[in-house]
Amino acid sequence: MSKIVVLGAGIAGHTAATHLRRKLSKEHEIIVVSPNRNYQWVPSNIWVGIGRMNPKDVIFPLEPLYKKSRIEYKQAKVSIFWPEGDLKSRKPFVEIEYVFGEKKGTKEKVEYDFLINATGPKLAFDQTEGLNPGTNKAYSVCTYDHAIHAAEGLKKVMKQAKTATEKINILIGTGHPKATCQGAAFEYILNVENEIRKAGLRDKFNITWISNEYELGDFGMDGMLLSYGNEQLSSKELIEMVFEDRGIDWILGAGVTKIDEGLCTYENLEGETKTISFDFAMLIPAFSGHGFKAFSQNGNDITEKLFKGFMIVDADYTPKPYEEWRVQDWPETYQNPSYKNIFAPGIAFAPPHAISKPRKSPNGRDIFPSPPRTGMPSGITAKLVADNIIHMIKNNTDEIHHRGSLGNMGAACVASAGFGFTKGSAIAITTFPIVPDYQKYPETHGRDIKKTFGEMGLAGHWVKHSLHHAFLWKAKMKPFWYLIPE
Amino acid sequence: MKKKITASQKRIMMNPFIQFFRFLALNIKILMVVALGHGSTRTKN
Repeated sequence: MSKIVVLGAGIAGHTAATHLRRKLSKEHEIIVVSPNRNYQWVPSNIWVGIGRMNPKDVIFPLEPLYKKSRIEYKQAKVSIFWPEGDLKSRKPFVEIEYVFGEKKGTKEKVEYDFLINATGPKLAFDQTEGLNPGTNKAYSVCTYDHAIHAAEGLKKVMKQAKTATEKINILIGTGHPKATCQGAAFEYILNVENEIRKAGLRDKFNITWISNEYELGDFGMDGMLLSYGNEQLSSKELIEMVFEDRGIDWILGAGVTKIDEGLCTYENLEGETKTISFDFAMLIPAFSGHGFKAFSQNGNDITEKLFKGFMIVDADYTPKPYEEWRVQDWPETYQNPSYKNIFAPGIAFAPPHAISKPRKSPNGRDIFPSPPRTGMPSGITAKLVADNIIHMIKNNTDEIHHRGSLGNMGAACVASAGFGFTKGSAIAITTFPIVPDYQKYPETHGRDIKKTFGEMGLAGHWVKHSLHHAFLWKAKMKPFWYLIPE
Repeated sequence: MKKKITASQKRIMMNPFIQFFRFLALNIKILMVVALGHGSTRTKN
């Protein structure tokens, strides 16, 4: 009998836990430890943030599902890793603290045979002075409760616009010089613009995109060359075309350093410090590790064996210049090299380096996007980690059977550009591979041009809406859920 | 020269009849990219 502990119940953690439960017999124990009471389908938070969806449309409680599926659930947060056990017990364990219910505040040791760290990122609002969702007129859509506040804030400025004599300024983008997840901010700005236009208030607003990207369409992935209809188009040209069409201004190479009431301060790649005022902002914060600690059996601090901000896995972390980065640097088993029974899929693994070219301002400030690992890659890497653990248990082996590098994996980003059955639209972009392989595809910016395409229109909205229902069906483990790919 | 979305392109993008077929094609195209496997970059597989 094996005991598998999954830390986190987001896209990666929940995917791993459900696949493990389906494929392993009941004698094996699956335990999920998460401080969150609900599963949330994060990609649809955009629609909560414009008031087109209710939070109940994007979340469901985890406990009843796990109870029904014989997955043990502990609503708790993990604090310390003991991968060798301690002097009392040789079995590895994690220290957790309950955050809800009768056991709130109680600490517990949870032993494991296999550990999946799917704790995702810490939303590091504290790394940007004054950036705190719902204050200083700045909001976030990173979680459903943040998105509720954003929708209220947007409603307020739209009401204000009806009687305003001056234009109202909206600022959307990244709120830290090294923030990632530009895709979410991109979806949000298009949805906000669409809502304002539908309300007949477009001429009352200035809408501005602010981002740490060097060029539009970088998305933390070094941009893309796309098939678009019968031609080839760079992601820069595609996004520029969309922004021009929607009358959206943009500020690039901007590292936001401070937010005051309605005022954003940023440094640009020329080293200038500038400000821009706003009446409503949605800024994506930096993502960081959770600051976990790890100890050896005799109590020595071994945090550096497990963590480098995020968790260390089978990547090549040797520091090297951009010109020497290789696709092979990226991990493919998400296994910790020191402790073979620990894995970190999704956002929880430490990337070997960025994907976009690193850039510095003359003052030495890094201003470029961190690499994205959200959504689809989170699900795919979590499933392959689950499959490897299943293989190891069933065959009583240490051999890793399944591999999946972001350098040999495709992803789709269906970016909503407006909500509505007949008036909605979206920009569907696929990319293969996620991390460009400049050796394999030297002529097409590191990507397979047949599998890297962009498309705009109402069909994209229908796809995004269908995916919302399909992935919630899958997450709720409804009949044949496992047939839906990650 | 910057590219622009023309009025006729917009009409096609928002035409429900045309977009229904685009929807079917798009689902298949996305599935072909994301669901047809992934693998190593270090070993042949």
